[in-house]
Amino acid sequence: MSGIFWHIGVFGALAVFLIVTIYRAIALARLPVHLRWELAPIPGEKGKGKYGGSYLEEYEWWKKRRQKSFFAPLKYMAVEIFLLRAIWRHNRALWPLTLSFHTGIYLVFAMLILSIVNAILIITGVPTSVLDVFLVITSIVALAGYLLGGLGAISLLLKRTLDANLRPFNSTSKYFNLVFLGAVFVSGAYSWFVLPDFALSLSQFIKGLVTLDAGVTVSFPLSLHVILASLFFLYLPWTDMIHFVAKYFTYHEIKWDDTPKDARMEKELEGLLSQPVSWSAEHVKADGKKSWADLTKKKTDEQEA
Amino acid sequence: MSKKLKIADIARDGDAPLTEINLEELPPLPPPYDKIDEQPEFKRLTAEQKERLVCNLDGVVSYAGLPKPKNKAEEKKYVEQFVSGLKKLLSKENNWTFLQPLLLSIDYCAQCQTCCDACPIYLGSGKNELYRPTYRSEIFRRLVNKYAKPGGKLRAKLNREDIELNWTTITRLYELSYRCNLCRRCTLTCPMGVDNALITREMRKLFSQELGWAPKELHEKGTVLQLDVGSPTGLRPNVAMDNLEFLDEEFGEALGIEIKTPWDKKGADVLLIHSAGDIISFPEGPISFSVLCNAAGINWTLSSEIPGYDGVNYGIFYDDVQLAKVATRHAQIARELGVKKIVMGECGHQHKAIMTVADRVLTGELDIPRESVVTFLEDIVFSGKIKFDPAKNDFPVTLHDPCNLVRNLGVVEPQRRILRYICPQFREMAPHGIENYCCGGGGGLSVMSDVNFTDWKAHVAGRMKLKQVLDAFADHPGPDVKKYLCAPCLNCKLQFRDIFDYYKVKERSGIIFGGLGELAVNAMVDVKKPLIKWEEE
Repeated sequence: MSGIFWHIGVFGALAVFLIVTIYRAIALARLPVHLRWELAPIPGEKGKGKYGGSYLEEYEWWKKRRQKSFFAPLKYMAVEIFLLRAIWRHNRALWPLTLSFHTGIYLVFAMLILSIVNAILIITGVPTSVLDVFLVITSIVALAGYLLGGLGAISLLLKRTLDANLRPFNSTSKYFNLVFLGAVFVSGAYSWFVLPDFALSLSQFIKGLVTLDAGVTVSFPLSLHVILASLFFLYLPWTDMIHFVAKYFTYHEIKWDDTPKDARMEKELEGLLSQPVSWSAEHVKADGKKSWADLTKKKTDEQEA
Repeated sequence: MSKKLKIADIARDGDAPLTEINLEELPPLPPPYDKIDEQPEFKRLTAEQKERLVCNLDGVVSYAGLPKPKNKAEEKKYVEQFVSGLKKLLSKENNWTFLQPLLLSIDYCAQCQTCCDACPIYLGSGKNELYRPTYRSEIFRRLVNKYAKPGGKLRAKLNREDIELNWTTITRLYELSYRCNLCRRCTLTCPMGVDNALITREMRKLFSQELGWAPKELHEKGTVLQLDVGSPTGLRPNVAMDNLEFLDEEFGEALGIEIKTPWDKKGADVLLIHSAGDIISFPEGPISFSVLCNAAGINWTLSSEIPGYDGVNYGIFYDDVQLAKVATRHAQIARELGVKKIVMGECGHQHKAIMTVADRVLTGELDIPRESVVTFLEDIVFSGKIKFDPAKNDFPVTLHDPCNLVRNLGVVEPQRRILRYICPQFREMAPHGIENYCCGGGGGLSVMSDVNFTDWKAHVAGRMKLKQVLDAFADHPGPDVKKYLCAPCLNCKLQFRDIFDYYKVKERSGIIFGGLGELAVNAMVDVKKPLIKWEEE
């Protein structure tokens, strides 16, 4: 396989990944505003977030200006994303395995970015000495990523299979996801060890892609790695592995959303409250026409009397 | 009984229970509660009850009113209703209230089981698989995916997540949804932010709003009675006023001060909404606030409108429509009185229901400022208007954190500042604050007592909390030193009442429980006689 097929395969997979991921993110964002369901700790609560406090600890809180921290939530999420704080604190036996797995993913992603930079450096013709430095860094990051990711995938697979706590909850897709991603890591590691200059080969391949070079080629085993990675990008957005998107919503839009309604939300809520209800239980008294507001805002006859 | 439970077991073996509580498998309590033969016996269902009731989960029945279908056609009808409810849960019209949180919790659980060891019921049961917080969530997740999403049946087969939906499944699932305190301690630990408590509440909601199944204490004798006569206690407005008038006099004489509780005062600054359960069962609480508000010179009132004298809102445990109805009435009453703010009584779920959850239901003129009793009390205590003598509270005190006040609202420190000021022997229990254990009565369980449910609450749901309380007073374990457990929440107090009666904690360990307001009044210089009494009079 050579030339245009690589462009179609790689760019096509990336395009599908981006389009479907963005579509799913937008679909989540466009769901109706829900009732408040916050959960401490909310790190954005300046001076209180650390111990789980909120602005509701203030006497007549509505008369006071809310003290919010911009950086505390970012710091909290950075520790959660890169060091897996929750697993460290509450599931220590799983932590080294999943940390290895996730760090592998982050490093391989960093390697991809570095390879794009290398491709640009090659195109712009920077001195070889500069390029060599970048290639060495890329090579180290790649090896670390593949080894950590591969080790993580295999150990998680074993843990899922052998741990009596996890086994009853496994599904085919849970195994398949780990095997698939594990194959991406292992094929990458294999390429790194087999090719005399893995980082340069990958960077030149990316250069061929970004310059739309019809003659771009890539040799085995890097070709296998690229194909597997592209297929994984095609598969990823259809699965629950895009929890990196969902996590934004579970934290920012639910657990940390403690903001009282404003005029804009009030307008949206009025629309939602005017929707018809069709729950069937007798006490709801819904008929498919009466709205939430009709059903909840009227006094009962006895109260009117 | 084997604990190796599979997800698909929920649909199997018809009327046989999936597990049974074995006291020997429960984690031990500290002495003198550590001998199993000295523990209260767990009431087992009789043969007659087994015949008459739906009891196919764990040998415990929380709702004797669950209908038993007479034939297959009736079974099928219930199953179809359940599927119809699943679909409504995923619709914007019928479930805009929690659609986004539900979908996220359904779709993105990584099945890492990190949350399980956070659950006080799972721990209190000796890690019985049935009570694993992920067990019921995973069953529900598979049912939603199979029966309420396009192509679900094929995907369930391919993914080996197939699950049968029959009469057994839905009745067991109903009961299982009332083996959770909705305390959200599991959610606190989840790296994804997946919320098992929310899933459980959505299950309860489906059963209530679609099939009309809900515990009688929460629905028929709960929200329905509250909206009808004013309170789930059955307390009608005139009786509530009479009761408090009597209590004003009685406590006034006992404390040596004049107490006058104002009612229906138009234009007052503050509408204080107690729980009527406090008026009946723990009257020291409401009386304390009458004393404190009057002494601080606050322009305040109670309401005798239905249901303005009872702040409980059991809708938060099982039904969005009932939740909104009760919250709306509370706000309407405040508006009609023209008050500047509503102050919650000492009741955790009341706080959560009207301060935050219903915030997005109370639109327009119903959006009246709402404040926690704890911050309100902190302002009174530190205002300098009342003199306190902490020496009057010189006995060991520990604090129970109601989940709805602390973890769910973020009101953590004001109550501690008060206690550190007026209680010289205040000590924390471990863990505390937002990592507290639920009392075991959360999620509405504290008011549920059908058949043998109280036994389960005392032995399993409240076990970790009882252990915590005893550990907090480990330096004075005997009954000779009197100790006070501060629990600023009606439902928590109801649960403590059950547990303490069950294990005779007052007699064996010398611990009593009560609210925060009582400690403040007990320390008031101007109150000559103690409010907190160690012996019944």
